[in-house]
Amino acid sequence: MRQLLLLAGLLAAAGGREVWMQYNPGWNGSSVNLLHVRAVGPNDTLHYIWSSIGAPAVLLVVTEGTSSALHVNWTQLLSPTPDGAIRIEPAGSVVYSTAVVFTKVFEYSKANVQEEVFYPTYDLSDFSWDSVNRTLNHTALTAEFVGGPATDPSGSFSNGSLAFRVTAYETSGRDETLPSLLHTANSSKVEFVLAGAAPRGNSSWFALEVATVEEAGVVQRLRLARSIDDEYTPTIFETFSLVAESRNDSSTLSFLQWKATAYGSQAPKREDSIQCHSGSLKAANWTLPRSSIVLAYFGEGVGSTYTISAVNISFGGEDGNIYEEKRYLSWSALLGFGQPPKDTFSPLVISIMAVALGTPMVLLVVGSCVVLFAQGKRYTEYEPIN
Amino acid sequence: MAEEERALLGSDGGGGAAGPARRLSPCHPQRLAHRLLVLALMCFLGFGSYFCYDNPAALQTQVQADMKVNTAQFMALYAWYSWPNVVLCFFGGFLIDRVFGIRLGTIIFSIFVCVGQVIFALGALFNAFWLMEAGRLVFGIGGESLAVAQNTYAVSWFKGKELNLVFGLQLSMARIGSTVNMNIMGWIYSRVQHLLGHSGHSTLGITLMIGGITCLFSLGCALILAYLDKRAEKLLCKEQGKTGEVIKLTDVKDFSLSLWLIFLICVCYYGAVFPFIGLGKVFFIEKFRFSSQEASAIDSIVYIISAPMSPVFGFLVDKIGKNIIWVLCAVVTTLAAHIMLAFTFWNPWIAMCLLGVAYSLLACALWPMVAFVVPEHQLGTAYGFMQSIQNLGLAIISIAAGVILDTRGYLFLEVFFSACVCLSLIAVVMLYFVNHLTGGDLNWSARKRQKLQKVAATEAEEQERLRRQNEDDLAKLRPKADDFSFRNKYLSKLGAQLPDNYSSYLSTMAHRSVLK
Repeated sequence: MRQLLLLAGLLAAAGGREVWMQYNPGWNGSSVNLLHVRAVGPNDTLHYIWSSIGAPAVLLVVTEGTSSALHVNWTQLLSPTPDGAIRIEPAGSVVYSTAVVFTKVFEYSKANVQEEVFYPTYDLSDFSWDSVNRTLNHTALTAEFVGGPATDPSGSFSNGSLAFRVTAYETSGRDETLPSLLHTANSSKVEFVLAGAAPRGNSSWFALEVATVEEAGVVQRLRLARSIDDEYTPTIFETFSLVAESRNDSSTLSFLQWKATAYGSQAPKREDSIQCHSGSLKAANWTLPRSSIVLAYFGEGVGSTYTISAVNISFGGEDGNIYEEKRYLSWSALLGFGQPPKDTFSPLVISIMAVALGTPMVLLVVGSCVVLFAQGKRYTEYEPIN
Repeated sequence: MAEEERALLGSDGGGGAAGPARRLSPCHPQRLAHRLLVLALMCFLGFGSYFCYDNPAALQTQVQADMKVNTAQFMALYAWYSWPNVVLCFFGGFLIDRVFGIRLGTIIFSIFVCVGQVIFALGALFNAFWLMEAGRLVFGIGGESLAVAQNTYAVSWFKGKELNLVFGLQLSMARIGSTVNMNIMGWIYSRVQHLLGHSGHSTLGITLMIGGITCLFSLGCALILAYLDKRAEKLLCKEQGKTGEVIKLTDVKDFSLSLWLIFLICVCYYGAVFPFIGLGKVFFIEKFRFSSQEASAIDSIVYIISAPMSPVFGFLVDKIGKNIIWVLCAVVTTLAAHIMLAFTFWNPWIAMCLLGVAYSLLACALWPMVAFVVPEHQLGTAYGFMQSIQNLGLAIISIAAGVILDTRGYLFLEVFFSACVCLSLIAVVMLYFVNHLTGGDLNWSARKRQKLQKVAATEAEEQERLRRQNEDDLAKLRPKADDFSFRNKYLSKLGAQLPDNYSSYLSTMAHRSVLK
């Protein structure tokens, strides 16, 4: 069943999907944010449910057929026991579901190489978020979750904000701005942006904790791919992929993919790059924040039937001053269903190499022919004297 | 007869100096110890200039972080070094021969190098990147001309077989200077940063000032060398050294196709090597995850290898000949090295060692080819032109490399360098065929060249002998107008026996024994 759907997903990736975005379906208020993105392909539908209720999270549900719909029980969702508040109907059509939660933002200083001094953590479930309705753009298929801590004793967010920008895609293509991630119709982009927040130290590094929730029978792996091709993200050769593989046949079911870099400006150039390191993937058995949509969809069994893993992604410069100067940090990742897209050489590179290597060969052959011909001619010009 | 006189005087002068009758003081310019001292000074003359030339490459991350410039602006530091030398290559010889003289010229160029490096460092201290570029411009004015002066000193103090050794040593010292720079400047920067407690443009400025001490050292060598040269001139009555270069720009229209192809090879090849070394350190840090020290070490391996290999390859190419084949091998090896660095993650030490070997080989095989293709009276112009367009190519390619890196990344940059090397390869292949089809002598083996040179020399000798004989015969046939010959002629016609003193050939023979 899953293999068939993966195949269908590949076709959809080639062909494209139709994307609809809905804000707070069935709820008139704007104090909470729930963005439903529905990407309908020829044989299947991808549902992305982005929400900032509790910790910011995204729920990815893949269903077969084109007529699946999202049902949200808002009163239950906003209550202390949200289990089962979010359902995809018809329930039997759900093939695969996963969730990615952004739980915490750490700030630490690396003044000494050995020691890391941690400042108080920003817990993203304690943040207050602006209404997404204002930033929702149906033509560009983007939306932005902007927020700041509900209580800010150090005043670091007085002039700044933390945001998650969501972009949905209908066809495959490549972003124009760095890091120019290659996307397919099976993926969406989430961009973590820290703008204007004051660092609490002189050489601060920031780290984002990303947790994933997987069904039983699915294994999460963090892969590091080193490529020789850095054409689209100059000087960055590494790509991290958090892939969910089925235990039975090791096919890749979903992925969260990012390049090992962040950028320090709104219109980033190569020199704005900020180093990005990933910790290792660890099993996280602590309970997720209660009002998270993850609990709403997966239910109480989320700790036991489903596996939760987490990885810390850190950003900073060699001497840590990079964020201090730029006061802007942007990190992009691609979340999708199926195999993560692979970068290939651009046609320009291939054509240059072909011409550059081919011309001397051609010249060598042509030159040898000319030389042989000329030698032959020389010999025939001589006639014996007697 | 005139030659015999000259030879006697020559052996007299030489014999007198080595004879036991005359004792030379230890400070006499002809003593070995003195000449060794002069050799050492000559080698260190260029040390400061080569040390400071690659300062930007050794401190690329620091320059880009402290001065907040992108790679295109960073590479402008190299471009500004090359721009003045596009024009100055033609005037270096003229300035040294006619305007300043070798001694004053060397001192002036050393002062330019020092002042340039100081302005470069001040630019960093005052956080003015334009001042750094101006410093590199001034540095460039002095740097290349100083190399010409160094060579002129060598030719003036050493002759014949020793000259090859001296040139080799000078080149090695230059390479050692570059290597030391690559490996030390990063460490100096970190010590200064530790001292000041923070990194910034002032840290960079102080580091560059410390690097400028080598230029002061070279200036000192220039001053001492000038004093010793003046003293030698007085004691040995020898003339001030001259480059002997004659530049006539109108000769350019006489350059053959082979020579233009050699120019193309030169520009494209060096444009794929020097800018690559300039950007290499960060390339190895980013792509291969090397530490800063290892990246500096591997970036300097090209220079480290060329220091011993240049004399070896020079000897080999001289012995074997077949220059075009050597150039072809060097270009193909460099292409392989760049492709390895671009498309694989193989250990870059292999590629860089190949690059070092190829670079040394090409230098030894390419530059002598110019002398084979160009008549001697145009040689100065040809070499000057070659250096001029080499600098032009380097300036343009440096900036292009910086722009490419900022917009497209390292893979595209390596593809660009590979394309340059391929262009050079195309030129070599064309040169081979042009040379073959026109019956040129660029690809002769050394033995063949020697044989033909000997044949040419004996022919020239033969012609000279015939000419002299013709002159003598003509002189004998011409009637002499003095009384002695009139009496001789009359008496010979009579058939009378001439007394001894009337016989002209006997008297000349007597004369000859006195001369011996």
